[in-house]
Amino acid sequence: MHRYTWRQMFRIVWVVGWSDFVLKYRGSLLGYLWSLAAPLAKFLVIYYVFKPLVGGEIAQYPLYLFLGIIMWEHFTVTTTNCMTALREKQAFFMKIPFPRILIMLIVGWTNMIIFLTHFLIFVAGVLIIGDTQWLPWLYIPVLLVQMTLLALGVGMLLASYCLKYRDILHLWGILSQVLFWLTPITYAYKLDRPISEQWKRLIEIIHHPSLHTVFDLFVQFQPLSLLTYDMRRVTLYAADLSFPSAVHIGGVTLVLMALFAISAAVYHHRSKYFIEEY
Amino acid sequence: MSHPILSCEHLTKSFRHTLIPVRHLQERIAFPLRRKKWWVRTVVDNVSFDLQKGEWVGVYGPNGCGKTTLMRMLAGLLPPDAGTVACRADISCFFELSIGFHEERTAEENVRMHAMLQGLPPKGVAEILGHVREFAGIHEHWDLPLKCYSVGQRLRLGFAVTTASPADVLLLDEILAVGDADFQKRCRQRLKDLKHSGRSALIVSHSLADLEAMCDRVLFMEKGCVVREETAAVA
Repeated sequence: MHRYTWRQMFRIVWVVGWSDFVLKYRGSLLGYLWSLAAPLAKFLVIYYVFKPLVGGEIAQYPLYLFLGIIMWEHFTVTTTNCMTALREKQAFFMKIPFPRILIMLIVGWTNMIIFLTHFLIFVAGVLIIGDTQWLPWLYIPVLLVQMTLLALGVGMLLASYCLKYRDILHLWGILSQVLFWLTPITYAYKLDRPISEQWKRLIEIIHHPSLHTVFDLFVQFQPLSLLTYDMRRVTLYAADLSFPSAVHIGGVTLVLMALFAISAAVYHHRSKYFIEEY
Repeated sequence: MSHPILSCEHLTKSFRHTLIPVRHLQERIAFPLRRKKWWVRTVVDNVSFDLQKGEWVGVYGPNGCGKTTLMRMLAGLLPPDAGTVACRADISCFFELSIGFHEERTAEENVRMHAMLQGLPPKGVAEILGHVREFAGIHEHWDLPLKCYSVGQRLRLGFAVTTASPADVLLLDEILAVGDADFQKRCRQRLKDLKHSGRSALIVSHSLADLEAMCDRVLFMEKGCVVREETAAVA
């Protein structure tokens, strides 16, 4: 196989990612606006239902909700596309020798472009009805990298086995419905103590096991909750909530990098057998 | 003698499938100990050969004798069960009468993407675009998505892309079944030109006459093994 330099791989991901983004909406009546349909419909319905329930206790609830939904959409669409890309790009896998991870990185980049266009709508919302401090927004690129590491980390693990087990795509669809409600998108997320202290609650579970405590801890610690919380406190609540500490930033990034590295290694190994599993 | 540009030693590959396919994770979890009946077939069995720089080797044999699987292992698309492949050059492949195109993309987009995935720099991509457009003879279809192409036009495009690649080694599976009589004549001429330019190639074909006409030697495969080798009288 041709030896690819980092520059070549970056160029392939950049160009093909843009090309996939353009191709996705080419020829459709509303074009790119279709990508907004799912998060917008979800936002309107949830806002209508949840506003009377939690709208009072969460400041800037429309923006809070919209940001949560577009981050969630990015995660689920990216993870699902990692699996469907194996079918859509089957011809490449069958006939061209190239580093298979490029397909996953292309999926990540295409979905990041879509997320950024949704994020621009969020920025417009902040400018019109929001109240924010702009300096902490400099932290957003780090969060975008963390989001990509998480989505691709999970997506690559699923893609590694989705040809071997054909129901993984379907099972992930069900699991992601559960995960949606175990992520603080519609309701308030409270991190009243630093994460380093929250771990002590594990002892509480051992002494007084209860399903509620388990769910509570899961909601607090699962990475998507942390990323959504960090994005909100940087963009919407910088005046009230503290900026993420260096330990927090480093810890979360390290965990996500480890997830990405393990997933990439599993995907690299499994991708050798994709042709036999098609 | 110089190092071969592509070589394999004791290459072996078996395919293993369950007779009643277990393709569901839920089934695997629910019945982890369920015994399965396996169908195992050795498709390539202990194959070794060298391809020297500038040499053209043909692979001939009946359907199912392991020619395409052998080519896929040489290209790095399939991992062998045993044996090794050593390649000291870039490879360009043409398998199953196509090279992996996207139906919704235009010819230019497909060629560009293919060239990039082969690791060509922007200048190389631009050069390939010109060559392919000229050789494939699909000027009026160039800006249309591939779904608007006839089968013959797709094959011509695939042949043009594969042979325009600057790779030193070409792996060509049934490449001479492409297009009408006129285009086949141009294909043969193009392959001769490539040979004279010093490229190496491994060609699979069901036409022994074609292989003997183009290749320096021909390997005969049966049931996954190379059963004999003949030196061809190259035209």
